[in-house]
Amino acid sequence: MINSILRFGLIFILLVLLQVLLLNNIQFSGYVNPYVYIMFILLLPVEFPSWLLLLLSFVTGMIIDFFSGSPGMHTSATVLAGFVRPYVLRIVAPRDGYEPGSDPSMLTYGFRWFLSYTSLIVLVHHTALFYLEVFRFADFFRTMSRVLLSSLFSVIFILLIEYYRRGK
Amino acid sequence: MRNLLNFLARYNNLIIFLILEGIAFYLLATRNSYHNSRVVNGVMGMTRGFEKRINNTRSYLSLHQINESLAAENVSLKNRIELMGRKENSPFFSVTDSVYKQQYVHTSAEVIENSINRQKNFFTINKGELQGVKVDMAVISANSIAGVIVGCSKNYSVALSLLNLDFKVSARIKSNGYFGSLSWDGRDYRYAVLSDIPQHVIVNVGDTIETTGYSAIFPEGALVGTVSDYEKSGGDFYKITISLLTDFKKIHFVDVIGNLKKTEQLELEKLFK
Repeated sequence: MINSILRFGLIFILLVLLQVLLLNNIQFSGYVNPYVYIMFILLLPVEFPSWLLLLLSFVTGMIIDFFSGSPGMHTSATVLAGFVRPYVLRIVAPRDGYEPGSDPSMLTYGFRWFLSYTSLIVLVHHTALFYLEVFRFADFFRTMSRVLLSSLFSVIFILLIEYYRRGK
Repeated sequence: MRNLLNFLARYNNLIIFLILEGIAFYLLATRNSYHNSRVVNGVMGMTRGFEKRINNTRSYLSLHQINESLAAENVSLKNRIELMGRKENSPFFSVTDSVYKQQYVHTSAEVIENSINRQKNFFTINKGELQGVKVDMAVISANSIAGVIVGCSKNYSVALSLLNLDFKVSARIKSNGYFGSLSWDGRDYRYAVLSDIPQHVIVNVGDTIETTGYSAIFPEGALVGTVSDYEKSGGDFYKITISLLTDFKKIHFVDVIGNLKKTEQLELEKLFK
């Protein structure tokens, strides 16, 4: 129990640092801003209580907002991601269900499962985030392309990190 | 109670979600200047649109009265032009100067928002800086005073209504010229109070009250109303109740009057204060 709290705490700190120190400063052509911190929400255990998940999403979003100077933007997107996570887990559930007490990792459930799980949540999160950022529907398709491109890069980053984690 | 608890237990995630999202949206809408301005503009645009529509309907329905009041105003304006012509036949100006003659500039406007039931009432008119309206201009409805402009945006202005406890104007009894201070006591939108008239002055019910022009905001001789009642209030002064000529409940078309020589007057007066 203590062990896993420490482990997730470490993952959390590393992801937040990666996000605010490195990725927040990357902008390819104004379209691509990968947001990898959402991976923290992805990695929490399958049976994690959803009210705690929501609170943790809120805290995560607040911290990212704090560092990127955009109060409320990441918070609302991340809380939404935390809210849909149980439903996404239900949608992508493997045929024989989840093993009790397992983590939703690539190691346990395989590459294809992890890819679809990650893509869905990242897509929800990025859609909310980018539309909240522009806060209008005027440039609907421009924003949509930003969502799709950034989601692509975020998913690639998350898969790379997950590969590296498995390798350890 | 049990049902309520069941309900909470069943939807607790949704409730937590909604609360957290509510907080996040609150932060988003209030702490980011961009998002804040979009939200505020959206709401303002909506209410302005509504007000405009309501106002359109109302102005259509009251066209008849408006026509009448316009006709009456025309007549009185014509009379004033006659008077002016006589005044300005003064032989002392040999140079042709178009500025010295004109002291007041008029702009007509429509009242689009109005209240009479508060202690501090304001109304909004549909002219603003772009149409030449400025702060401290007088607002007059068909020759009788209505308020003073206190704030302007590009196309709208807010006026302090006469029906506001902060409103004060210098007014006099037309028949004998004694002046006092006119204000509203916050009770009835049809009546105001004229104070500081000494008790040796003869006051009759029905006397006309007009502005003095001392404040440099209202032109001299703008009508206020008629004396409806007066009583001796302690000291040496009358407390005169005035029945207002302006009906604030149906005020619609107004004139905004700017005094072109106001700064000149005020600066001169400043030297002696």
